[in-house]
Amino acid sequence: MVATVETNAQRVLDRVIAAGALGDLVVQEESSLSLKAHDGELEEHKVTSTRVYGVRVVKDDRAGIAYSEAADPAALDSMVEQAFVNATFSRVDPAESVATGDTILVTDDASLCPDDPTTVEAKIAAALYLERELTARDKVRNVPYNGVQDATVERHVFATTGRTAHSRDRVCSAFAYALLSDGDKDALEGVQSHTRRFDEIDTAWIVDETYQRCVAMLHGEALPSKHYDVLFDVEHQADLFAVFHDMFSGKSARDGINPLRDKVGERIAVDALTVRDAPLNADGLGYALFDDEGLPTTTTTLVDGGVLRTLVHNSATATHFDVPNTRHANRSPRGPLGVGLHQLEVAPGNVDETALTSGEYLEIVDLAGLHSGGNPVSGDFSYGAAGFLCRDGERIRPVRNITVAGNFYEMLNKIDAIGDTQHWNPERSALMARIRFADVAISG
Amino acid sequence: MLDTRVAQSTIDHAIALGADFAEVFVERNQVNNIATVSNQVRDIASGIDFGVGVRLVYGAKVLYGYTNRTDAEELRRIVSELAAKDRRDPAVSAQAFDFRTAADIHGAQRTLSKDSEVRDKVDYLFAADRAARAASNLISQTQGACGQREQAVEVFNSDGVHIRDTRHYIRARLQAVASNGSDQATGMQTDGGLLGWEIVETLDPKACGAEAARQALVNLSAKPCPSGRMPVVIGNGFGGVIFHEACGHLLETTSVAKKASVFHDKQGRMIANPVVNAVDDGTLEREWGSINIDDEGMPTERTQLIKDGKLVSFLADRLGAEQTGLPRTGSGRRQSYRFAPASRMRNTFIEPGTASFDDMIASIDRGVYASHMGGGSVQPGTGEFNFAVTEGYYVEDGKIRHPVKAATLISTGPDVLKQISMVGSDFALATGMCGSVSGMVPTTVGQATLKVDDILVGGNA
Repeated sequence: MVATVETNAQRVLDRVIAAGALGDLVVQEESSLSLKAHDGELEEHKVTSTRVYGVRVVKDDRAGIAYSEAADPAALDSMVEQAFVNATFSRVDPAESVATGDTILVTDDASLCPDDPTTVEAKIAAALYLERELTARDKVRNVPYNGVQDATVERHVFATTGRTAHSRDRVCSAFAYALLSDGDKDALEGVQSHTRRFDEIDTAWIVDETYQRCVAMLHGEALPSKHYDVLFDVEHQADLFAVFHDMFSGKSARDGINPLRDKVGERIAVDALTVRDAPLNADGLGYALFDDEGLPTTTTTLVDGGVLRTLVHNSATATHFDVPNTRHANRSPRGPLGVGLHQLEVAPGNVDETALTSGEYLEIVDLAGLHSGGNPVSGDFSYGAAGFLCRDGERIRPVRNITVAGNFYEMLNKIDAIGDTQHWNPERSALMARIRFADVAISG
Repeated sequence: MLDTRVAQSTIDHAIALGADFAEVFVERNQVNNIATVSNQVRDIASGIDFGVGVRLVYGAKVLYGYTNRTDAEELRRIVSELAAKDRRDPAVSAQAFDFRTAADIHGAQRTLSKDSEVRDKVDYLFAADRAARAASNLISQTQGACGQREQAVEVFNSDGVHIRDTRHYIRARLQAVASNGSDQATGMQTDGGLLGWEIVETLDPKACGAEAARQALVNLSAKPCPSGRMPVVIGNGFGGVIFHEACGHLLETTSVAKKASVFHDKQGRMIANPVVNAVDDGTLEREWGSINIDDEGMPTERTQLIKDGKLVSFLADRLGAEQTGLPRTGSGRRQSYRFAPASRMRNTFIEPGTASFDDMIASIDRGVYASHMGGGSVQPGTGEFNFAVTEGYYVEDGKIRHPVKAATLISTGPDVLKQISMVGSDFALATGMCGSVSGMVPTTVGQATLKVDDILVGGNA
């Protein structure tokens, strides 16, 4: 009999049950094609496929995990054995368990993994087009970062309780970053595009937008150091929330490092701010029918009118705090059970975009050092930045070689206005109304 | 790890399809990661990654694929699929394999495949936790981690290379959180190297915990950092990340070959203050960024990058060397079999000088002493880089005044290298992870304390 993911999963779970334990198994399969161009030729053509099994066992209130890229019976048996060994060293934790239930969840291939008639030749042509068309533009020295990718990820969750879940997600993407030079001035800018189908990628837009961004930023200069009102573009506003998403983590709260761990029910932001996690919005590429314990997801309101309503939890953190499980289990096959957001959403405010951009403000379109420059435990951050000094919605001049610094948690109480329109970030993983932050420290 | 006949068959097939060069990279990576919270074990994760990467080169084009299987049929299938659009009559002949085992200068003893030694590692982390908590009742939490891995690699290629090596990595760290009820701050101490758990014989868990706690307490009392252009004294050890970001990445042929580095045409020219001498050395015994051979099978070496301010060499992998005409430097590295290799740094540092710390501080009217640095990033094309200060102090009238927080330093590589005016003698190395086109690889950064005369400090005062 040919072994399948399902028969291998059964083998693993049978051994867990035979040992008198509970357990669940995450299997992740990935396949991808990626292409990059240089000097008019294909520079890289990468074809990959891989599969990894990760088991979590819970016995005597102790959890242990192990993983294997090999799927032969001996390797899988060894993986289970190692997980039990690891469990013997773990803390005794009555909250650690395998979520109950025997639901079977399967995502819809038609919406998440659609067929696409685009041939490999057409994808190669797209990669060459991006580099060729940008290189032909005035003052473009080269296009050092470019490429197209077509990736499919399958995730399986199997639990000893009988619960199973399976998703198949396809994401196609393209990006180009061009280096523009004019005398002693230069600028490296670019854009990316992510979709479910390759034929939905607009490569002409990528070329035009990348070039326009380079031209716009070429003569950027620093600003005088002072405090400005700041609007981040959607990409970097989403990035900023991502750096500090541990503020919503039930696991960080349990570990005693989440600064908002005792703030549920309290005001943490201005009235206008409402933040949700919306995993079932299928327009986004962060869509998730189930979490990594295989439990069905739902929309969770995290901040409602400035008040922190809940942290996000998996079965263990929910049990520990004796609160409802928000179905935010997050676990790679190689890692422990954690929590994570699926698809963050900043709800629309009541300020139209014209009013949002009234007066003088700084529009930030690039942040450098996102993770090294931010500390989720304290909320402090300081980043290299670039953008535009703006007035009444018009860009007055490009700004480079500046820094933006502050404390993110304090900034949530210095929100001047929130726009009434939501926008997806380029990865289509976060849906954001734009926020105007007041009085942000800028150094130039 | 891979049958030689299978490797030969794979490479012969690639050459028969017209590849100029073919390579098979085999990796078995055993991992054990322990995470503690306070005096409890939070998680232990272990496992084995195994896979085979196949690289074909046609002219300047790289074709790359990988699989978890080791049978000849699967590897030949990958070759055929990769070469489908480029196949042509054979251009070269594959050389017969000349098997060698890499000379091991590091000599790990307490290796993962012998024993994961979980209890001993947990005891170490718990001892560090106790030391951190003993420092102050403001220390509210600690998080410890100890990661060990054993990476066995085997490289075959059409030039006749067949070589094996095993790398033993160990890293332990403790993060302390200080809290006064309204604010929180962190401190971190990390140790690691290219060796086994015998590293514990050179470590003191009390010192580890005390140092993490000290940093956290300093940061808890820190004031907002002033901003603007000013002189900065950067501490030794991980302060060397300034050279890593400001210059190191710009000297990798990954950027140089595309003329996407501001230094691509500067070899032989002064690019730094004459007090600056910089090296990337893969041969340092038991250092975190060291290797015996690179991931293309070439013995690694010591590469002088900058001598008395003059750019003397780049870091070149096989393909980068072909594209630029530069000599290979044993710098072809990759995270795993999932990545094609690229030119990467190893142990990169500015060599020590003779300046005194007191003289550096005394020379500053208004500036910052950045005693500990975090990570950073760079845009090679423009040379613009940033890196974070994790422990810093305001300096005024030649004296260290008070701790500051939330600071970052930004500049461009060409600018900052000319602004380094004083280099001290307290040389030290520190471990880090570096991300680039071929994934995350262990790298060491290092320097003695040095002074940058003028750099933009981003603070929120």
